[in-house]
Formats: sequence, structure tokens, C-alpha cells
Amino acid sequence: MALAPFNLLIGPNGSGKTSLIEAVLRLCALARLPLGSPPANGARRADGPEIEFHFTAPYDGLEATLRCVSENVCDLLQVVPRPGGGGADDWAGLRARLLRVRSYLLDHYAITAPAALANGTELAGNGGNLAAVLAARARAQPEAFAQFRAEVTRVLPEYDDLRFAERPDGTVELLVRLADGGEIVAAENLSQGTLYTLAMLALAFDPAPPPVVCIEEIDRGIHPRLLREVRDAFYRLSHPQATGLTRTPVQVIATTQSPYLLDLFRDHPEEVIIAEKHGRAATFSKLSDRADLAQLLTEGSLGDMWFAGILGGVPEEK
Amino acid sequence: MKLAILSESPADEAAIAVLASAVLGGPFERVQPALRARGWPNVAQVLPAVIRHLHFNTRADALIVVVDSDDSPVHTARHDAPGYFHPLCRLCRLRAIFRQTVKNLPPARGREGVLRGAGVAVPAIEAWLLCGRDPAVTEAAWQDGQTAGHMPYTRAELKWRTYGTDRPSLPHETRYAVEAAKRHSRDPRRLENDFPGFAALAHDIRSWVKPMAGV
Repeated sequence: MALAPFNLLIGPNGSGKTSLIEAVLRLCALARLPLGSPPANGARRADGPEIEFHFTAPYDGLEATLRCVSENVCDLLQVVPRPGGGGADDWAGLRARLLRVRSYLLDHYAITAPAALANGTELAGNGGNLAAVLAARARAQPEAFAQFRAEVTRVLPEYDDLRFAERPDGTVELLVRLADGGEIVAAENLSQGTLYTLAMLALAFDPAPPPVVCIEEIDRGIHPRLLREVRDAFYRLSHPQATGLTRTPVQVIATTQSPYLLDLFRDHPEEVIIAEKHGRAATFSKLSDRADLAQLLTEGSLGDMWFAGILGGVPEEK
Repeated sequence: MKLAILSESPADEAAIAVLASAVLGGPFERVQPALRARGWPNVAQVLPAVIRHLHFNTRADALIVVVDSDDSPVHTARHDAPGYFHPLCRLCRLRAIFRQTVKNLPPARGREGVLRGAGVAVPAIEAWLLCGRDPAVTEAAWQDGQTAGHMPYTRAELKWRTYGTDRPSLPHETRYAVEAAKRHSRDPRRLENDFPGFAALAHDIRSWVKPMAGV
């Protein structure tokens, strides 16, 4: 599966969407350790599963393979050069980028929790630490924070400012100001969808984002009319040049169960990956590989086609 | 005057509002909340319900609906012949839906019914926005391409030419759309000439002036 700069994974529950993300995370976790060697007896499982990772330039001269060494242990990571590519002698450089790959499954309780100011460097995988990250950004990178605040108040016009309440114990709490009346509201009193939106915008406006962002259920709690804003926020990461930014693109791997979000990828079917479950096996295919896609698009929306079962990626029924 | 606009995005709605105001010759009040559809055929699916909602539940005088033609047949003068209906032409479909929906509605809220403003952007609203800036982009050019089996441009190319990217953010898209619409609003005749799908909308809007005059 050749992943694009932005990838939207759709498919039924248990079809392997999260497994694809976990495969990337497994690579990154094993990259922290010294590279593996095959067992001394040379007996890696010939019939065991393997995951082969290729990379884009400047590391297209490297190939990483994840293999099993026994029935239950699959932690053998080997990296070999690929002919013709660059960076074949720079595993250290690739490894440094892999160590910065991040995955998110947002949780509104974690997002609202007061965070230690001293930890304000990075959003946690569940969205925790948001207040500390934003407070630190407001102090150290006021221009980046101003852009983030402007986007928040545009997407969520019921609010007109973000504030922080620092506590004696060294933690900080996120507050928002209501545009109508100026009342200050604690983050814990915001709706789940609002909190997820805040966290996703914080990611999208991170001035130093991770090289790869994996995020699950990007539609969760979001009104269908705001899904365009969610898509655009992640496009800001994956296609920075489209918003006038010059930084390196971030690869985004996102999952969704929303037909409304899928509708927004009519012009970019190459960004949609359909996961399907056949018994115990999961398969992945690109929407753009369908030969009849152009015809399908004249007859209905992608979301409707998906729900109808025409695109695949629907639950099995017995 | 109170108008409703059924569109695919806030950017489209903003541009259509500017164009409608130019043809109408003045500002108008918009029905809130704004109406949205998820492209064709969703527009055709929700339009009857939208018309009935506006008729009974709002004080809307008229509904403007603009859709992209995509790859569907372009509306021609032949389609305007009495009794003619092209089943794949989106303007014919929109007009038929209006006609069938309103014909049995009783008067409500002090007016006979919601007036129709229907237009089709060929092949997409970006073509309207480029009109006058890119002489190669016209409805006739697209129609010739359909006939020849070789399209003069793609919808993705139109996006690039209009926004400088095929992934514009909503504010970026809205800003460019409104700027282009304001350019046309000074004199919409070029847009009407190059895009009969807009001329159809303009004709509908001008037809309201007479019915509205007595209100």
C-alpha cells in the first residue's frame, strides 16, 4: 500500500484500520532499539508474517522489514539498503524521524485535564497536556499561537479568545471566552466535539509538527458541516504549500466512519484507503484503483456509495 | 426581499449571494440557518423538502439553487422548448422539481409560493469565477469538448487556476470566490454571455421583480 501525504482509512470495525496504524507505530517503537539480527540458529519463521516498509526521499534507499522470530514474538526489525535510492547510509537520520512519529486517539476527559506547565512541549496521544502545550506556545511562539487562536475563533465563532489559568501547583487550565457576553468558560464545560476540534487544530497549527501523524476517528463528535474544517486542518499538515507554508509536509493517516467526511474526498480518491475484513484477513485497497470510479461519481456521493456497499468496506453479515 | 440559497459550501454561497445581489440590483436578507446540500444528486433529493420548508416555515420570497454540471449534458436552447425535458440535464431536473413541488402547495405566509432561481455552473462554479480572466474557460468550450470527446480542462485544473491549489482552505476559497464574484457584479453581462447556466439564474432573478413589485 503506497501511502499518500494524506490518507483516510475507511472500513468496518475490526477491519484492520487501527492495525495499519499500529504497524507504523511498531516500526517506530522497534526503531528505538538496536537493529535486530536473525536468531543464532538462523531460524526465523519462514511462514510468519512480514511487514516491509519503504520510505520516500531522502530515505528511499532504505527498506525496513519487521518479522516474527517465534509464534508469539514479532520484533525482529532489519534495515537493508535499496538499490537506486538515497539515504542508504543514513539509518540514524531516518530513525530520528521515526522516533518523532505520533499517534492520537483523542479523549475529552484527558483534553480538559489541567496539565503541568513544565510538560508543555507535546500533545499526549489522548489529547492530554493540551493546556500546557498551548500555554507554552503562547509564551514561546506568540505568532504561531495567534494563528491558532484566529483559526479557533473562525471555526468556532461562539468563542472569541483563549485564556489560561495557572495554578499554584504548577498546572495550567484552558479557558475560552464566549463571544456573546464575554463569559469565561473552563474547558471541562465545553462539548466533546469542541474539545476534539481544539485538539486537532492545536496539532494542525503546531509550528514543529511530527513527521507522521496517525489519528483515529477524526469525525468523532464533529458536526457534519464542520468536517470540511477538520479535513482542511489536516491538509494544512500534509499539504503545507496549499496554505502558503514552506515547512516539510507531514504524512497523515486518519480513520473515519463518517460518510459525510468521505464525501469531501471526491476530488482526491487517491487519498482514500478501504479496509476490508475477509474471515481473519484484512485487505487494503485504494479507492482510486476502482476502474468504474468516474461512473460511480456521476451517480451519487461517495458516502452514499460506501453505505450502499458498492465501495466495499462494510461490515460482514451472516 | 428574503432569499434562501441552497449551495454546496459556504464559499459557493458567498459568491452566489454577491452575484444574486448584482442581478437583483440591491442587497437582500438571507434565510438562516443557511441551506446546504452534498452535491448532485443530493441536491435533487433534498430540494422538494427544502422548497416545502421555505414555503411553510419561513418568510423566504425566493430560493436560489446553483449546482455544478460536472460531466452531465449541458442545458441548451433546445431544452427550453415547451414540453421538452432532458432527463440528464441538471437545469431541466431542477426546474422540474420546482414545478412539481410547488404546484399543489397552498398559499402560505401571505404569498403564493417561493420563487425559483436555478442555475447550473458548467462544469463547476470555478468556471464562473474564472470568466473574464481566462478566455479559454466558457460553457461553449466545455460543450465543444463534450461533443469532441476531449475536455478542454478538468475540474481540478479549474481549482488550480482559481485558487492556486487544488486543496484550498475554506477561508482561502471564500476570499477568492467573493473577489471574483464582486468583479462580475460590476457588470454581469460577460458572465451571462459566456455561461448560459448563469444567464438562466439571472433570468429567473429578474423575473421576480415584477411579482415582488406588488408586495
